[in-house]
Amino acid sequence: MESKVTLLTDDEMIGVIKENKLAKRQTETQLFNQYSYLIKEGMSKYSLEEEDAFTAYSDTILQSLDNIADSIFEKRSSLKTYLYKIFNNKCVDLIRKKTTNKRSIYQTAPISEMMDMISDQAKNVIQQLIEKNDFDLLRRRLNELGENCRKLLLFFADGYTDKEIAAFLEYKTADVVKTSRLRCMEKLRGLYIKNKG
Amino acid sequence: MEYIESYFKGNNTAEQKLRFENKILNDAGFADEVAFYISANGVMTQELYEEKKQRFREMYESHKVVAMKPRVRSLWKYMAAASVILAAFLLTWFLSVDSSSPHQLADKYVQQNLTTLNVTMGNGDSLQTGIRLFNSGKLNEALSVFETLEKSDASNSEATKYAGIVSLRLHNYDKAIKYFSLLEANTALYSNPGKFYKAIALLERNSEGDKEQAKQLLQEVVDKDLEGKSEAEKWLKNF
Repeated sequence: MESKVTLLTDDEMIGVIKENKLAKRQTETQLFNQYSYLIKEGMSKYSLEEEDAFTAYSDTILQSLDNIADSIFEKRSSLKTYLYKIFNNKCVDLIRKKTTNKRSIYQTAPISEMMDMISDQAKNVIQQLIEKNDFDLLRRRLNELGENCRKLLLFFADGYTDKEIAAFLEYKTADVVKTSRLRCMEKLRGLYIKNKG
Repeated sequence: MEYIESYFKGNNTAEQKLRFENKILNDAGFADEVAFYISANGVMTQELYEEKKQRFREMYESHKVVAMKPRVRSLWKYMAAASVILAAFLLTWFLSVDSSSPHQLADKYVQQNLTTLNVTMGNGDSLQTGIRLFNSGKLNEALSVFETLEKSDASNSEATKYAGIVSLRLHNYDKAIKYFSLLEANTALYSNPGKFYKAIALLERNSEGDKEQAKQLLQEVVDKDLEGKSEAEKWLKNF
């Protein structure tokens, strides 16, 4: 029962990732598989353990997906060259950080991106409040939220529009998705505040 | 929350932006809500990355990828071909002398044959959506798609079969047995793996009487020449 998948070209993959089409997840899978030989290369070139090389490679793929979606990747080189460059940097970073926290080479930046949208004075207020938040508790509450809510929130966090989520999860309209999603956020906040307090 | 979301979508005018930021400075409750919104987005994105990394790990582990590098020198091609032949020979030999218990055999079968489902790109119906979710490791989501389909159309044997397979992968053997029993009862199918899969689910559940019932089902698969016959023949020797 192996899957019969038509391989996309680099340009087709970039198109799917940028436009958030429903085949995005499959494209991510293809991208991961297509260049996964780099893991072996990381092991031989940088003498990394397989686990470390895997971490560097998956972080490479995650960063590349974000850079493609945000148009930071400008197609000045082939996708292969681009990935290769990021991967090498990740391996070097990993060797440098090996004595500290090797699993967090790829730090996500949604918080800083949002903070950058706020002017300095308001930003300071928000920054102080964010520092008081308990992220572990928040994560636990997210996982206790129920599968439907969690799914809605994570699809949205993955860059899907309400319309795309409606098609993917078979909701009637994008408006229904939006209303349900915002309710889920309120529910998450309610759970979080209740437990935090 | 909608007001906050619309701000971070970046569609506001300069005036709206100013009003939003003034509200942060003058309304502590609102500022707290904004801080929560940003923190939650950070957590959700991190969670998403963890899920994707987990999916990548499962793919990597299942393939243990051999380099896909292009332009391999011919010598390597011959060596690779020789290795494949040798591996096939060893596998055949290994399978022929496999002394695993029926439970282990069932477990192995699930790992080797029921971790990926056929998918055709471009087909947008619900079944394909479920298959895609399954193949990307979203088992609970895939199950809910297949169960919805199965409930809305009981004659949809594919949905029943996949609901059983996903339940099997989720180690929910009672549910898997329920779906495979439904599949088994469908006599309109040209090819029906229901009995064989039900035997697998029973072997996996391994409760009292399951092994005997599985043996009986496997014998029926062999006697009636049903789907799964070749495995059933081999497994029966290990009871």
